[in-house]
Amino acid sequence: MQLSNETRNAPANAIDSTGNHLFWSRTPEESLIKSISDFGQVAPILVRDTEHGLELIAGHGRLAALHQQGSLVLMRMVNADTDIEKGLLYMTDNSQRPLDDGMRLAALRYFHPLMDTKGLQSDIMPRLGVKPKSKDAKLFLAWLELPSIWQANLVAGRVPLAAAAPLARMDNADRSAVEPLFTSFSWSRSNAVNILNWLFKSSKMTDSPVADVMDKAGMNDIMRQGLSPKDTIARLTASANEARYPELSKLQNHFATTARELSAGTKWRIIQPNNFETNGAEITIQIKDAEQLLQAVTDLEAMAQLSPWQEIWKLGGKND
Amino acid sequence: MTKPIDLPNHLRKIAHVFVDESMQDSPIANRVRSRLQNTAHADIPWTIVSPEANRVEFDEGEAQALYLKEYKGKFLRFCPGTRAYHCCGYRIIHIGENCPMACSYCILQAYFQDRILKIWANQDDLFSELADGFGADPNTRYRVGTGEFTDSLALEHLTGYSHDLVGFLNDFDNVALELKSKVVDLSWMQATTRTDRVLPAWSLNAPFINEHEEFDVSTLKERLEAARTCAEAGFRVCLHFDPVIHYPGWREGYAEIIDMIFDYVKPKDIAYMSIGSFRCMPQLTPIIADNFPDTTYIYNEFVPGLDGKARLLRPLRVEQFTFMVDRLRAHGMDKQLYFCMESTEVWNEVFGYAPKSFGGLGKRLMEQAFGK
Repeated sequence: MQLSNETRNAPANAIDSTGNHLFWSRTPEESLIKSISDFGQVAPILVRDTEHGLELIAGHGRLAALHQQGSLVLMRMVNADTDIEKGLLYMTDNSQRPLDDGMRLAALRYFHPLMDTKGLQSDIMPRLGVKPKSKDAKLFLAWLELPSIWQANLVAGRVPLAAAAPLARMDNADRSAVEPLFTSFSWSRSNAVNILNWLFKSSKMTDSPVADVMDKAGMNDIMRQGLSPKDTIARLTASANEARYPELSKLQNHFATTARELSAGTKWRIIQPNNFETNGAEITIQIKDAEQLLQAVTDLEAMAQLSPWQEIWKLGGKND
Repeated sequence: MTKPIDLPNHLRKIAHVFVDESMQDSPIANRVRSRLQNTAHADIPWTIVSPEANRVEFDEGEAQALYLKEYKGKFLRFCPGTRAYHCCGYRIIHIGENCPMACSYCILQAYFQDRILKIWANQDDLFSELADGFGADPNTRYRVGTGEFTDSLALEHLTGYSHDLVGFLNDFDNVALELKSKVVDLSWMQATTRTDRVLPAWSLNAPFINEHEEFDVSTLKERLEAARTCAEAGFRVCLHFDPVIHYPGWREGYAEIIDMIFDYVKPKDIAYMSIGSFRCMPQLTPIIADNFPDTTYIYNEFVPGLDGKARLLRPLRVEQFTFMVDRLRAHGMDKQLYFCMESTEVWNEVFGYAPKSFGGLGKRLMEQAFGK
C-alpha cells in the first residue's frame, strides 16, 4: 500500500464511489461545497486504477461536491490492493475528522470481517483514539456482536456506547422489548445505561422476560400517556428502578411518607443515609440567621413528640 | 505397564509447574516432583524462574499452572475486615494465593485474574516468622488460618503444606489453627499431636448452590463425612455458611443442609460456625456475570454496604439469618454461632444480643477455638 506521486484529472462520474471502505461517507457539508465553489479543489482525492475503472479510496465529500458542480476532479493515484489497505488509507485521509462513537463503530464494522480481535485492538482501535485494553475497547467489541439494528441505533446516536454491556447480556426478545424506549425518546448516557441494567437485572431476578418486567412495571402504559419526553423518561426511569429494587423501594416510599408527616410545616429534612443498612435517620436543616435557628429548635422539639418516629427507627429490620 | 494414577479432580487442570530458581531444591519442590511421578501429570513441563524475571506469564485456556515461589512478604497477617461490621479477628498464615476450584461467588476471581496457583515454597522463612511471632509471648493466644487467599487443603495432595504446618505448630500451645476447605484431604492428621489445637473446617451451602455454583469441589456429603472422621478422632470442627445466597427455594435448601449436618456431627463437635451473606466488591459482579453466565443470584437486591461492598438489602438478610439460626438452635447450636462481618443491628435482630454483650467477637471465638 502506498501513495504515488502521479496525479490525474477525470470527470466525477467516471469514479466509482460505492466501496464499503468509504464507511464515513455522507452528503457534503455546505461549507465544503462553498469552499470548492470559491477556490476550487484544494487537495486531490485518492483514487485507485482498477481493471473495471477508477475506484475512489478517499475524498467522498469532495468528489460529491465536484460532481454537483460538474467540475473535473484532481486525483492522486494510490496502490491499495486489499480491503484492509483501502480502509486504512481512507482512515488516514480522514484522520483530522472529529470522531464520535458511531463513526468508530462504523470503522470497526468494516474491519471486523477482515481481521481477528487482536488485530482490531492493536491496529485499528488506536487509529480511532481507543486504547486497546480500555473499557471502551471492550464495549466496542461487544457492539460488534450485537445485531445490526442495534449497531444502527448507536451510529444514529440513539443509544450510548456503554449500553453494550446490558444489551449484550440480553437475548433478542429482551432487546426487542426495550427497543421502543430508544426509538421514541432521547436518553442521557446514565439514564440509558441505568434503565437497561435495571430491566435486565430485574428480569434475571424474577426469572421473567424483560417484556413482562416492563409490562408489570407499567412502562408500556407510561409510553402511551402522551406526556412530555422529559416527564416520560422520568417516569420510565422511576418505574424501572422500582422493578429492580422492589423491597428497597417499599422501604424508601414508607420512609419518605413517614418523614413528610414528621417534617410537615418545618424546614427540617429527614433522610435515610445508607439504604437501611443501619437503623435511624439523618435530619438536617439550613439556617441563615438567629431567628431561623430559634424556629428550627422549636420545630424540632415539637417533632420529637410525634409518634411516627417509632416507624422510622424500625424500618429496615425484619421484613414484614 | 502400570496405568498412571489420576490426580484428584480439582488438580487435573494443572498443566505446568513454575519454580523459582532459588526454590528448585526446596522440600516443597521435591515433594511436588515426587507426587507427580506415576500420575497422568508426570510429564507436565517445569520451568525454572530466574530471579530477574518480573513475573510469570501463563495463559493456556482452562489449564492452570502451579508456581512454587520464594515469597518475600509477610506470612502472618490480619484478616482484612472492616470497622463498619463485627470482624472475628482471625489472623492469616499466608501460604499461597489462588485456588484450583471454581466457585461462582469467590472473591479470588477479582483478586487474581490469572490461572496461576502460587505456593510459598520458602517454608523455612515462614516457620521462622511464625516462631518469632507465636513464641514471643506464650500467653498470647492466636486463632489463625490459611484459608483466606487460597483453600487450605486444595493443593495438599501435591504440597503437603498443611501437614508440615500442623507438625510445626505442635510446639505452640498458644496457637489454634483452622484449616478451611471445600475438598477432603485428611493427610495432615498424621502430623499433629494436638487434636485440641487444629480445627478442620469446611464451607457448607444449600445443596442447590453446591450443585450449581461450586465446581471441582467435594460434595456436601463428603465434607460432612470428613468432619465426622475428624470429630471421631478427637478434633472439634468448624463449619461455615458463607456465602449464604438468596435464591428461589433457599428455605428448603438451607433447611436440608442444616438438618444434614447433625446426621454427621453433634453440636459439641463444632467449635464454631459462621454465617455470612453473599457480599462483594462491586467490581466482582461483572466478573461473575462473565465467568458464570448462568448465575442469577447476583441480580438480587444488593445495595452498597457501610464498607462499600455490595450487600443484600438488610431485611432480606435478616429473614434468611433468622430462619437459619432458629433451625440451628433447634438442633442445639448456641454460642458457637456467629455472623461474619455483620452489623450490631443484625446481631440484635437475629440473635437478640450483639458482640459487645460478651466482650467482643474476637474474644468469644478465641474461647471457642481453645475450648475455654
